[in-house]
Parts: sequence; C-alpha cells; structure tokens
Amino acid sequence: MRDEAAFVEFAEAVRGRLRRTAYLMCGDWDQASDHVQEGLIRVYVAWPRLTKAGREYAYARKAVVSAFLDNARRRSSTEVPIEPDRDLPSGQDVAESVASRAALLSALADLPPRQRACVVLRYFEDLSVADTAAVLGCSEGTVKSQTSRALASLRSTFDASPIGGLMTEGATSW
Amino acid sequence: MVNDLGELLRDNVASTPHDEFDLGAVVAGGRRRVRRRRFAVIGGAALATAAVVVTGSLASWESGPPDFEAAGVPLPAAPTLRLTDAVTATEGTDYRVLASYTNENLNRDNGQYFDGVTDDGLILFRDGPRMDQLQPRFALMDPATGEKDWLPDLDIGQAQTRPLELGEERLVLLSGQGGMRVNLVVHVFDRETRQWDAMTWPDLPAVEDPFGAVLGPDDRLYVPVPATEGQPPKGGWPTGPGGEADDAGAEGDTYRLWSASVTGMSDVRDEGLTVGSLAFTDQSMVWTDSTNGEAGRVHVRDLETGEDRSFDPRSGERCNLLSFGAIDDRIVMGQYCGTYDDGVRDDRVQVLDTDGDQVVTLQGSGIEGTLASDAGGGVVTVTSYEPGGDGTYIYDLDSGRFLRITEDVSSWVTSGPTPQGQFLWNTPENWNRGMTQYLGELTD
Repeated sequence: MRDEAAFVEFAEAVRGRLRRTAYLMCGDWDQASDHVQEGLIRVYVAWPRLTKAGREYAYARKAVVSAFLDNARRRSSTEVPIEPDRDLPSGQDVAESVASRAALLSALADLPPRQRACVVLRYFEDLSVADTAAVLGCSEGTVKSQTSRALASLRSTFDASPIGGLMTEGATSW
Repeated sequence: MVNDLGELLRDNVASTPHDEFDLGAVVAGGRRRVRRRRFAVIGGAALATAAVVVTGSLASWESGPPDFEAAGVPLPAAPTLRLTDAVTATEGTDYRVLASYTNENLNRDNGQYFDGVTDDGLILFRDGPRMDQLQPRFALMDPATGEKDWLPDLDIGQAQTRPLELGEERLVLLSGQGGMRVNLVVHVFDRETRQWDAMTWPDLPAVEDPFGAVLGPDDRLYVPVPATEGQPPKGGWPTGPGGEADDAGAEGDTYRLWSASVTGMSDVRDEGLTVGSLAFTDQSMVWTDSTNGEAGRVHVRDLETGEDRSFDPRSGERCNLLSFGAIDDRIVMGQYCGTYDDGVRDDRVQVLDTDGDQVVTLQGSGIEGTLASDAGGGVVTVTSYEPGGDGTYIYDLDSGRFLRITEDVSSWVTSGPTPQGQFLWNTPENWNRGMTQYLGELTD
C-alpha cells in the first residue's frame, strides 16, 4: 500500500530546500513553488519504489529540476517568463553585496535553462559533475561544457560591472 | 572586490518569502497522476497469441514479445490482436509520406509542429511559442511543396491551442484563459476573409482541463464540467509487482455536460446529463458513464431522433478508460487493465460498434492508442513502448489492416485531426533531443 503519511512528512521536510533550488533556476518564488508542487506530485507517483531504494531526496531534486526544464521547454503556461527584477537598487544605492546578489540573479536569467540548472546544481547544491549529469540526464562532458559556458557568461557580466569579479570555490572550474 | 558564486547563490535564498503551499493539492494531484500516467509507463517483456489472424511478416522482438499467458494477463472477450500480428509496413507500398519536418533539439527550445490537416489537405503548421517567437503563429502548409501561407496573428499570448475543426471554409481552435481553472475560448478563422474571430461564454463554468471539450455536429461546443472524482480505496492503491501503485479497476470520474453555441455567446446550457468520456459521429452522440477509471455503460444517442440506447462494453474486470473516440458506427476505447507477473501490463485499444458488438481489441504491454483520423473509415494510432516492439502502429478501421510504421518512439507527441486515411506520427532525432514529424497516407 502507498504510505501517504510518510510521503506527507517527507514533502513537508524538503519543500523549503527544493523551493530555494527552484528559485535560483527560475528567478521567481511563485514559479518556484509551482515547480516544487509538480516535482512532489512526481515523487508521490514513484513513492513506493523510492522508499524501497532509499533515494527520496535525490529523486525529488531531479523531479523539480525536470519540472523547471519541462516548463522552460514547453512555454506552455499563459504566463510570460518572469525575469528577476532588474530595477533593484544599484550598487551605488545600497551595499555592494546586495547589488552582487541582484546582478547574479539577473545574469542567471540570461543563461539558457540547462546552463542555469548546471550552475545551481554544481555551486548551490554542491553536486559533483557525475551527480549533476545524473540529475539532468546527460553526459558528464555535457555538464562540463554547459557549466563552462555558463561561468564564462557570468564572469563576463561581473567583469564588465563595478561590483567586481566572480570566483568559484569548492567545485572545479574549467 | 571578488564575489564567490556559491556564497552569492546561498545569500540570494537566505530569506525565503512565505508561500501558500497546499500539500493536500500535491497528494490529490499525485493520486490523479497515478491513474493518468498508466499509459505512459513502459511495461515488461514478451509473446502473443491472436484470435484474429493477420498475414504478413512479424515484427522482430530481440528478447521475445511479452508472455501475456504466462504473466496471467486475461484475454479480452473480443477478437484480439497483439503487436506481433502487425505487418511491418513498407513505405510506398502500404503508405506514402506526404510531408515531414524535423526539430533537431526540442530540449533547447520549443519548435514547429504539425497540428493537423485541413479537409482540403493543408497542414496546420504551428511555430512556437519559443524563445524567439513567444506568441505562436500559424500557417497552412502545402505538403507537396512545403510552401507556407502564414495566417494573420492570433493574439493569444502563450496559450496552448487544440484544433477542433480544420475545414475548407474555416479553422476552429480551442484555448483556455485563466489560471488553475480556465474559461474556454474558441478561435474561428474564416479562410475566405482571412479574419480571426474569438468566442467566449461568460455563463459557461470554468474548467481545469480545456481540452476535454468536443465540437458537436450542431456547431455547439460540448464541455464536461467536473462533477465527481473517483477516490482511491481506503489505505491507498495496492502495489503492483514493480512497486508502483496499481489502480486498475479504479472508480471513474464523472462530469456534468454543458454546451455553448460557437456562434452566440449567450447561448449556453446545462445539458442535464452526467457523462464520463464523450464523442460525436455525424449521426450520434456517444458517451460513457465515467472515465479515468471504470467506464460503466456506453450510451449512444441518435442525433436525428433523440433516441438513446446503452450497452455494457465488456471491457474487462479491471479496465480504466483513458481515451475515447467515435467515428461512423465505430467506438474506440483506450484502456489500462492492470499489471501482472514480470511487470507485463494489460493495455488495450478496444474497438466496438455502436450496437455494442466487439470488432477487435489491440492488446499490448506498454501501448496506448487513440482514434487518430475521424474522417472516412477512421485510423487508430497505437504507440508502443514494448521493448523490441516499440514504435508507431496503425490500425485501419476500414480494412482491418494492422501496420507497424516505425520501430522507435520519441519523447514528443504529434497529433491533430486528419482527413480520411491520413495520419501523423514522429520519430526521434539527435539522440532523442528532437523529432521528425510525418504526415502519411494509407495506400489502397
């Protein structure tokens, strides 16, 4: 039998973390909630075999990323894709850190969806290249090339602005 | 100043706004999905017998077709065909390709699609919505030359559309406006004046799924409005051999039937009828008691006399109705009927006549089928995910021919109304990142 109580407990525990990951990919909290809802519905469907295998969270993360990528591909909703608010105060008006955060979200929004997903999975979720490839259903080489292109774009944005350069720690850069 | 990427990412989500997350909606959505996805799950492996014999070459299964008998899958109470009974079709002999179009990489962006074929043989070609074409645009494409006649802009934002009628005089498309529940909008393109006209109905209830609506021969849009939803048994669905919930034989959903005139926004009425699935032929309205679960009885209303009759479709003990169509005196019902030993699924495409007599049942493990062409005698398209037997199959209701057209399937769906004897299908391209769509025609 499907253990709904266990699923509900799991969903309550992970939805905040999943929403943050989704937000970094789509740049909008409401859309992030939609992606999490869709991802958790997919988890519900697969729940009996997931609990047997003990890989609930990895599956949920993959489901949310897939929901985000599906949405980006289909453009099926009636909503126009939302970009981060570019009217946020500039670095001259507020602390530099705030400007840097806004600049990053803006630069992420300019990346193709799969490059965005690579950056978030590698540098926010701290996944390895192999694990990122597993989430995205592509080869490790694709993850490396997509991440490399994404970082080059992000760096050029930061280098061209007064807020300074961009570095990566932890994950390997290429 | 140097900014650390990981730190910036974490800082951006350090403060999370409150959300109205409805976990109950997730659970309800999951329960519904367990049923809806039954067609999409790939079944197990191997064999077949056939009560109806089709001559010709057999499709080749590397590891043998599913062993339905060994798995304990019941035989339908009807003449039965399995995928091994299909003849491998030869292009030029069994069918002709009239047109094709390739999208190399649909993972990267949305693309261009065949959305159906007009009665006079032109393809409704849709471009977008995609990154550089946020609002979809439409053309009528000549399959012989590939030449496209772009239609005036249809101002619908990024809404999805489904063609209801592709005639010589007009094109009728359906879309929905709104959020979770949408108001239906019908877009009519007059091919002579080249003008789009939109019709919506303030008195028509909003619905969750806009594409359940059907255009009747009386130029009315018939709209199923949710009435009751089938519930899972107490404690949840039993788990099948693969560990997945198995909802075969589920209680179905019902809908209150409303209708609205395509030519008058105030002409809306409750038909006073509760239905499951609904379809029209030129002479009759056909419906089931319920859908997305057990179908119940099939009802046929003679549109000329108003006389109703009904019958038990004898679909089997555990069949969930997942697709429904009708043409002339034929009714086509796509069903999931349970998962058996070794993960062998009992998927069926049942064809009946409007008197309730069994015509044929196509049975497979991991197949789904729909009435593709509702013109002339009708063509049923079957998509199979059966290992070794995967691909697109065509069952011609007119001649009874059962043909295997391709030996692979893509991740995308190509569908739309087509004229007599024509059908749409696709094949994967570029390691399944894209697809090639085809318009084909059965030869006599």
